[in-house]
Amino acid sequence: MKLRFVLRQTLNNLWRERTPATASVLTIGIALVILISLFEVSISLYRNLNDLKQNMVIEVYLEASRTENDAAGISAQLSDYGTIERIRVISKEAAAEIFEKEFGENIYDILKENPLPVMIEVRLQSEYNHPDYLALFKKQVEALPGVDEVHYRHVLVEKLESLTQAVLISGLAVLIVLVFAMNLLIRNTIKLSVYARRDQIAIMKILGAGNLFIRLPYILEGAFEGLFGGMMAAAGLILAHKFIADSFEAIRFSLSVYKMLWIVTISVGILIGFFVSAAAVGHFVQKIYAKK
Amino acid sequence: MQGSTRDRKPNTCDYAMIRFSQVTVNYGYVPGALKDINLQLHKGDFTLLLGPTGSGKSTLLRLIYMDILPSAGLVTVDRWNSARISPRQINLLRRNIGVVFQDFRLIENMTVFDNVALPLVIEGYRRKYIRQVTQALLDEVNMLAAADQPASTLSLGEKQRVAIARAMAKDPLIVIADEPTGNLDREASQNVLNLLERFNRHGTSILMATHDYELIKETPYRRIYMENGEIRQPDSSINVGKERIIMMNRDV
Repeated sequence: MKLRFVLRQTLNNLWRERTPATASVLTIGIALVILISLFEVSISLYRNLNDLKQNMVIEVYLEASRTENDAAGISAQLSDYGTIERIRVISKEAAAEIFEKEFGENIYDILKENPLPVMIEVRLQSEYNHPDYLALFKKQVEALPGVDEVHYRHVLVEKLESLTQAVLISGLAVLIVLVFAMNLLIRNTIKLSVYARRDQIAIMKILGAGNLFIRLPYILEGAFEGLFGGMMAAAGLILAHKFIADSFEAIRFSLSVYKMLWIVTISVGILIGFFVSAAAVGHFVQKIYAKK
Repeated sequence: MQGSTRDRKPNTCDYAMIRFSQVTVNYGYVPGALKDINLQLHKGDFTLLLGPTGSGKSTLLRLIYMDILPSAGLVTVDRWNSARISPRQINLLRRNIGVVFQDFRLIENMTVFDNVALPLVIEGYRRKYIRQVTQALLDEVNMLAAADQPASTLSLGEKQRVAIARAMAKDPLIVIADEPTGNLDREASQNVLNLLERFNRHGTSILMATHDYELIKETPYRRIYMENGEIRQPDSSINVGKERIIMMNRDV
């Protein structure tokens, strides 16, 4: 009976304050869409960045005159660095085969000779895959006798790293503004509800109602706003995922991604609404008692 | 359970259910809202608290349901006392006291039934029991036909009858009525008094503050006279507006 009463009060409050409640629901929904998208994009960018770093191959090109024996000597020197995970020497012939595989043409047919130099493929241990060490490594290795050039895809890594940071920072900035707005709007709805029912609260106090019984309808009001905002955000995110999956063949989302989207978005929405309104209702009910 | 106590026999006994010992109340910088009050109320009593507006009647009543606490002295209500009562215990105390106000304090957008049922809902009783008790009470105050109407649609007299039914819902130790007829015409006032008398005959203690001397002049109940925050001695006289009331010779 108590719960039924509390729920009825909650729904009455929501209906009575439906305009500010709708504003709260929309703000929660938009904030959640941004929060979850930001989370997903960041995770995906970091994963790609990590993959790229893990699989970063440094190509050490020897001078044209150098042979595989020279490469073995240079490899031995590189091994002494202690930062190398794997070294592989690629002979002129192997390089020609790779060329044919990648470009579909035989280099001998085009040039009548094989100008490709002997190459050493190096993978660093993952902890050394950062731009500073890579630059130092390139400089040191290029100084070795017999080494012509050192290549790695540093530009891509650096760009991806700065992109990830930019996405995170701008997303966080938008999110902070939205969290602020969300807090303000939920508090405002709760404030309106509490003040509209200040006489009722005073009467319930005289009848011996406990704090929880008095406050619960308002806390649940916030939780309901969070639930509706979460449902709205989840629906929006799922539609966006389906659109992306339909537009780009390479991107597919499993069923569990959709399930997680529902569960996480709605749960986060409910928790936000619950805690923001719980903090607000205590404040406003105390104000009413103080005024009495 | 509720039924059995509701039907209890009228009983006035020596046990002081409410006791004021040297109670003083100061509101902020305004001293002496109540001054050195000593008072005992017994179980089953019907007591009238008389005095002009601002004499301290409402302050005395608020002390009983611990809406305020004394600045000095001690108020004891049944097993609770003002010196050692926690907010949680205040809630429990209030569940054992029925309060009726001049302005009714009904929840206007709720139905008559829900208003009367509210104390039982707060206590967490089962639905069936709440329905049974609420309907019986509404029947007793002759408001059963209006059970599903919002409280806002009632006349003032009807509102006060509903407020009395709500005060009685928990079968309280005492019903405190603070100027319950202040907003009512003669007929509605008499109905309210009759209703309180009927509940008192069934054993409920009543403490009613009023300055409607016409209404209570024929009643045989104990009278407590207040003026300027003090209880006046019996046999003294008190100025109430244009009326000069000669105190009845009763013990305080």
